[in-house]
Amino acid sequence: MCTGSLAALDEQAAPGQEERTFLSRVRRLTVEGKRAGEGYWSPDGKRLVFQSEREPDNPFYQIYVLDLTTGDTKRISPGFGKTTCAFFRPNSSEILFGSTHLDPRSKQWQQEELDFRASGQQRRYAWDYDAAFDIFAFDEKTNTMKQLTTATGYDAEAGYSADGQWIVFSSMRDAYNRALTPAEQKQLDLDPSYFAEVYVMKADGSQQRRLTTEPGYDGGTFFTRDGRIVWRHFDEGGLIANVWTMKIDGTDKKQITDFGAMSWAPYEHPSGEYFLFASNKLGFENFEVFMVDKAGLKEPVRVTYSDGFDGLPVPSPDGTQLSWTSSRAGGTGSAGQIYLAQWNHAAAMAALKAAGPRQSSNK
Amino acid sequence: MFFKKSVYFTIVATCLTAGAPVLAQTRTRTHVATLASEKFEGRLTGSNGEKLAADYLIAELTRMGAKPLPGMTDFRMPFTFTAGSKDGGSKFTAGATEFSGANVLALSFSDSGEVTGNAVFAGYGLVVPDSQNFGYDSYQGLDVKDKIVVVLRYFPEDADQKTRGILARYADLRYKAQAARQRGAKGMVVVTGPRSPNAGSTVPMSFDTAIAGSGLVAVSVSAAAAAPIFQAANKRLEAVQQELDGGNPHVAGFAIPNLALTLNAQIVRQQQTGNNVVGYLPASGATTGVGRPWVAVGAHYDHLGRGGAGNSLADNSQLNQIHYGADDNASGTTAVLNIAEALSTQPRKRHLLVAFWSGEELGLLGSNAYVDKPPVANDQLAAYLNFDMVGRVTDNKLTVQATGTSGMWPKLLEQANVVAGFDLTLQPDPYQPTDVSSFNSVSVPSLAFFTGAHQEYHKPSDTADKINYEDLDRVGELATAIVRRLMDANDAPQFTKVERQTDTGGRAGLRLFTGTIPDYATDVKGLLLGGVIGGGPAEQAGLAKGDVIIEISGQSITNIYDYTYALELLKIDVPAKVVYMRGTERRETTLTPSARK
Repeated sequence: MCTGSLAALDEQAAPGQEERTFLSRVRRLTVEGKRAGEGYWSPDGKRLVFQSEREPDNPFYQIYVLDLTTGDTKRISPGFGKTTCAFFRPNSSEILFGSTHLDPRSKQWQQEELDFRASGQQRRYAWDYDAAFDIFAFDEKTNTMKQLTTATGYDAEAGYSADGQWIVFSSMRDAYNRALTPAEQKQLDLDPSYFAEVYVMKADGSQQRRLTTEPGYDGGTFFTRDGRIVWRHFDEGGLIANVWTMKIDGTDKKQITDFGAMSWAPYEHPSGEYFLFASNKLGFENFEVFMVDKAGLKEPVRVTYSDGFDGLPVPSPDGTQLSWTSSRAGGTGSAGQIYLAQWNHAAAMAALKAAGPRQSSNK
Repeated sequence: MFFKKSVYFTIVATCLTAGAPVLAQTRTRTHVATLASEKFEGRLTGSNGEKLAADYLIAELTRMGAKPLPGMTDFRMPFTFTAGSKDGGSKFTAGATEFSGANVLALSFSDSGEVTGNAVFAGYGLVVPDSQNFGYDSYQGLDVKDKIVVVLRYFPEDADQKTRGILARYADLRYKAQAARQRGAKGMVVVTGPRSPNAGSTVPMSFDTAIAGSGLVAVSVSAAAAAPIFQAANKRLEAVQQELDGGNPHVAGFAIPNLALTLNAQIVRQQQTGNNVVGYLPASGATTGVGRPWVAVGAHYDHLGRGGAGNSLADNSQLNQIHYGADDNASGTTAVLNIAEALSTQPRKRHLLVAFWSGEELGLLGSNAYVDKPPVANDQLAAYLNFDMVGRVTDNKLTVQATGTSGMWPKLLEQANVVAGFDLTLQPDPYQPTDVSSFNSVSVPSLAFFTGAHQEYHKPSDTADKINYEDLDRVGELATAIVRRLMDANDAPQFTKVERQTDTGGRAGLRLFTGTIPDYATDVKGLLLGGVIGGGPAEQAGLAKGDVIIEISGQSITNIYDYTYALELLKIDVPAKVVYMRGTERRETTLTPSARK
């Protein structure tokens, strides 16, 4: 390289070496498009399904499947409307995700958002609980889509059970299927997520059943290996969230974290020994990945060390890798992209063992 | 470590057809060790080390079945450049006394020739532009038209720090020569005063690649040769200098009408030849129906030799040692060899052009010479991938630059990197201090791979033992995957012009933006534009790559130095007249400099 502006050689600030305790060969997996996130593994660990905003005519997420052995990516969602939270069905060629594409105004919303952006205005990022979200299953073999939920109100954030027979999801339908009191209506206008509750259904959409009743946003639901449900529950104020587990019938609810912060996006490590989750314990806008023992007896252990957002951790089915969503790249990656790293399970077990007993947030 | 490695090898085995990684690494080590060996002496452009390195690369190209480019009989593609200048026997005559030998030395930018005229002493020969609001003009009150100007070297020795700081900026002998020429002087004699460092010495001829003549005959002379000048004026030089050294702008020079001076400057410009090494692996079949049927990969293989060209960062204890350039750029050269090797056994829809540039460290000379006269038209290139300093991957980080040159790049990088597994940083800017700039300037979608600067940059300590070989192979594999995808697609990437954010001008404190990209490499009278920055003032003024600026705001421009000094006279948002040559046609335009962001 010829002596030019040495300023051009400035290296980017790197996240601390502390992260290397559990993560090695850290790398940015998705590059294309404005943002990407929520990467979930196929049961054989060879593919990842994720959401990304990467097509110029749609300013909302669509769902893509990435083949980790070739690098090829294909979109499996309709291409218009909004989508979120995809999941591979075990022992099947189906992939579920939430989508609004049946809303006849989908393309209108796209255009409005594009026009808004073209006007040069900036919107603070906020998730949009579009009431038109329903859950669909796309069959890769037949290239067909099956609608699994039809209720008005956001249905999304779904995951299959390990045997592929059940789906757990989050729904806001209870805000739309009855007359609301004026106070409730005000709450709905302000923040519809208050009405979100955990639901289960069979993989074909039958036997839909509500499992939670507490006020506050319940979502981010997944099955554990042993057939329980892990999710996060927000308090009524919407600023404090914690990780909980329960049986598939809604009984035996257990609080796993008491971190006094927004602790969410829990996912079980396939060893069955611990959950990974994200929390802003260290600063309102600084989310980091943490992990906590399965029973929540110990204080959570910090995993990532970088400013901005690190969250939505998902270990690979063999437990040797971790995918998560991070804004650490800055620049073209500041809206969040998917990262991948080797996961040191032995070091994680040792750190969890060494962690102190769980503190109470009330202290 | 074994665990990580085994995972990585598994991925390689399933996804790339490359042979056993262990074997590849052996070859990689051999390439780097050979190129960065003592025998190649730092591969200075035009040196024997460069020649040996070229021989090695040609043998490798031949071994993998590459051919010289269509219409060429040789892999070597020579280009000439000015490597320096030396004195060819200059003389100086003061009245009746002639001096030669050690007493007189031409200045490296002098024109060759003989001039005679009466002497005028012009102090330190300093002119501070009005724009600096600091009145200092050594020529005030002096008529130097058709005279020989005698000036002191450096600047007033005893002035206060602020004054020295300002005057020092205009004390470059080129600037002094320009000031003398613009006032009509025929020649200039430089004397190193008795109160200055190097008192009484002549000025050594410096190495200088942007060497165009100054339009003036100029020599430096020894104390002995200077003596008759001041005797004729009936003055003592030391007293004259002392008076000037306070920095008082009202201390004037003086004419010496009774003394004729004759300057006979003889400059021998040392033209040298560097060699790009370029070949190609032909497409497997006909390229009909394939858009832009060439893909190019390249790396510069030259380095700094023993660091004599002024771009070494060696400290005093390392002076004149071999600058091995293992990372810069035996690493990139090796990556290109590895890519070509991997693709040599694969079916190819497009031709793969494989280039090793020389003259990069002297200012992108080789790649510029190539894109100026390419055997394969530049618009036949689907893409150009550049590798410069790719041997120092740390913490899995890889920077890819120039990604703004095509909308295709993020997608292609994402796909290829899924398998390669680097933590990528993308930089859209193609205006980088490496050969990717040359290809961006001729609208080829380009990428530049780079693993970051380090402590050993441009020092003798940039050695082969510090290279991360495992990851250097991975850089090659990532790029190979990208090239393969480029090769397989019928459509070529679309070029996107990236607007340049800042000027190239290297001088700190120059806050004016003209949007010109000077071509530092070519020896022409005037300032040759290597390009103009998209949307910048120069482009708006209608200037384009290849134009030669010969005058700005009434200041004649014969070289890059004149140009730099002329910029000092311009003002932000004040239109300036620019005279330039387009081919043989003389044109005028108005350029309005903007503020630099």
